[in-house]
Amino acid sequence: MKIYFFRTKNQPIMSWCEGVKGVLLDVTGVLYNSGPTGGAAIEGSIDAIQRLKTSHIPFKLCSNESTETRANFAAKLTKHGFNITSDDIVCPVPAMVDLLKQENLRPHLLVHPDVLPEFASISTENPNCVVMGDCNTHFTYSAMNAAFNTLLSMSPKDRKLYSMGGGKYYKDGDDLVLDVGAYAKALEYACDCKMVVCGKPNKLFYDQAIRLLGVNIEDCVMIGDDIISDVGGAQALGMKGVQVRTGKYRAVFDEPHSEITPDGYVDNLAEAVDLLLSNN
Amino acid sequence: MGRFVPKCVLIDLSGTVHIENSIVAGAARAIDRIRKSGISFRFVTNSSKESVASLFTRLVGLGVNLSPGDLFTSLTATKQYVLRRKCRPMLFLEENAQQDFKDVSVVDPNSVVIGLAPSMFNYEKLTEAFNCLKNAENAELIAINKSRYLQRQHGLVLGGGAFVAALEYSTGLTATVVGKPSRKFFEQSIADFEGVVVEDCIMIGDDVQDDVAGAQAIGMKGILVQTGKYRPGDETKINPAPYLTLPSLVDAIDHVIELHSNGCET
Repeated sequence: MKIYFFRTKNQPIMSWCEGVKGVLLDVTGVLYNSGPTGGAAIEGSIDAIQRLKTSHIPFKLCSNESTETRANFAAKLTKHGFNITSDDIVCPVPAMVDLLKQENLRPHLLVHPDVLPEFASISTENPNCVVMGDCNTHFTYSAMNAAFNTLLSMSPKDRKLYSMGGGKYYKDGDDLVLDVGAYAKALEYACDCKMVVCGKPNKLFYDQAIRLLGVNIEDCVMIGDDIISDVGGAQALGMKGVQVRTGKYRAVFDEPHSEITPDGYVDNLAEAVDLLLSNN
Repeated sequence: MGRFVPKCVLIDLSGTVHIENSIVAGAARAIDRIRKSGISFRFVTNSSKESVASLFTRLVGLGVNLSPGDLFTSLTATKQYVLRRKCRPMLFLEENAQQDFKDVSVVDPNSVVIGLAPSMFNYEKLTEAFNCLKNAENAELIAINKSRYLQRQHGLVLGGGAFVAALEYSTGLTATVVGKPSRKFFEQSIADFEGVVVEDCIMIGDDVQDDVAGAQAIGMKGILVQTGKYRPGDETKINPAPYLTLPSLVDAIDHVIELHSNGCET
């Protein structure tokens, strides 16, 4: 007897959710939209997270946020109504801490004072690298000069500059402000070295998230609103990448996109979770 | 094969003649010697922290014997550029340097002129400059220089070029660099000397990139001095290597005067 597989009209040829064993989620634009007064949860996302949490599919929130600790970030999401703890979140800071430990590095830290406690277990004496995070108002000339002199004191081929995220700018309330990538570029230029980005879409960062999920990279899906960094970045590493039609998604640019073809488009996180749970 | 006899010498100021408010040992007398030798000379500086008038007064105070016409500064060249292009710049400059732009309109800015402005190298001011460039149509980022770093009395500090690189990255624009090592700047600096072409010139400076490589790229000879921001090994950073690397301006000027009398095979 022959078995035929029929697909309904609305199903893509290869459904992205088949065989998914782990899920990575971007936060801003997927769970909630940021805004001047703290932003607001996206409709259906609070319930979607709850359903995912009670399912057997492990997930992590993957964010490039580097100005606050995971605990504070989790508290912010809890305030919006999400059932999230800091263990659910993968941010560049803990990934950076792990990397520093693995490579036996002692950083000169140019990071936001609020995240300094996360580096408490790392020695910063006699530094042999520079680690930058988004410091917003703490990016001062003297702080930049201190980091610069640390780099310059190393021999040119040993200069290690890590940046937690390589963003150019971002929206802070209604204003566009410079992101950490700009300041890292300043040091890169002055010291003639290349920065290593620890954060999306860097492999080191995604690897860390996937290790925490405990699944194979090809069985993972990344769901995000940034088609380049989230979707394209995940696909480049062998994950599936799914684009939500929320957050910074814009139909004219992102569907179809000139370079990246997501494994799927979903209206929002709620639809993504519906598909995942009904297919697994 | 021919003989090289220098007709003109270009001399960098900060790090070569003086470091902040102290003059390099023997520099004043060396400059007097070059004046008496009959070789054309000009001080070419990427200085952007203070007005030309204030720089001049400071140099005279340090014992350098010079007249205003001996100076060619990137600040002056930038002002000429801005007026020519009819830009309305946001002046990312220290107040003292802003005085040189008194007659330039800065209302509703459509460009950014950036120099060494330590009091403005911070999040608020850089974000303001970024938004100015992001919002203006055909915005232009004009760098008085693209200096990586410079020597201060207490060590090295980031130059304006680092923050130019930051703004370039975030805006996607490429800065117009007015001062050294731009070809036009070197050419303008010798335009007053009749019959002098770039091949007749020697540039003396402490910055292996902006002074030496910049000058050599357009056909001048470059002498790297081991004062100011010079660090051991700098002479190996460029290809072709500096024409000469010498301890200080005094040795460099001695060499130029010697060449002027005797020439050398090329």
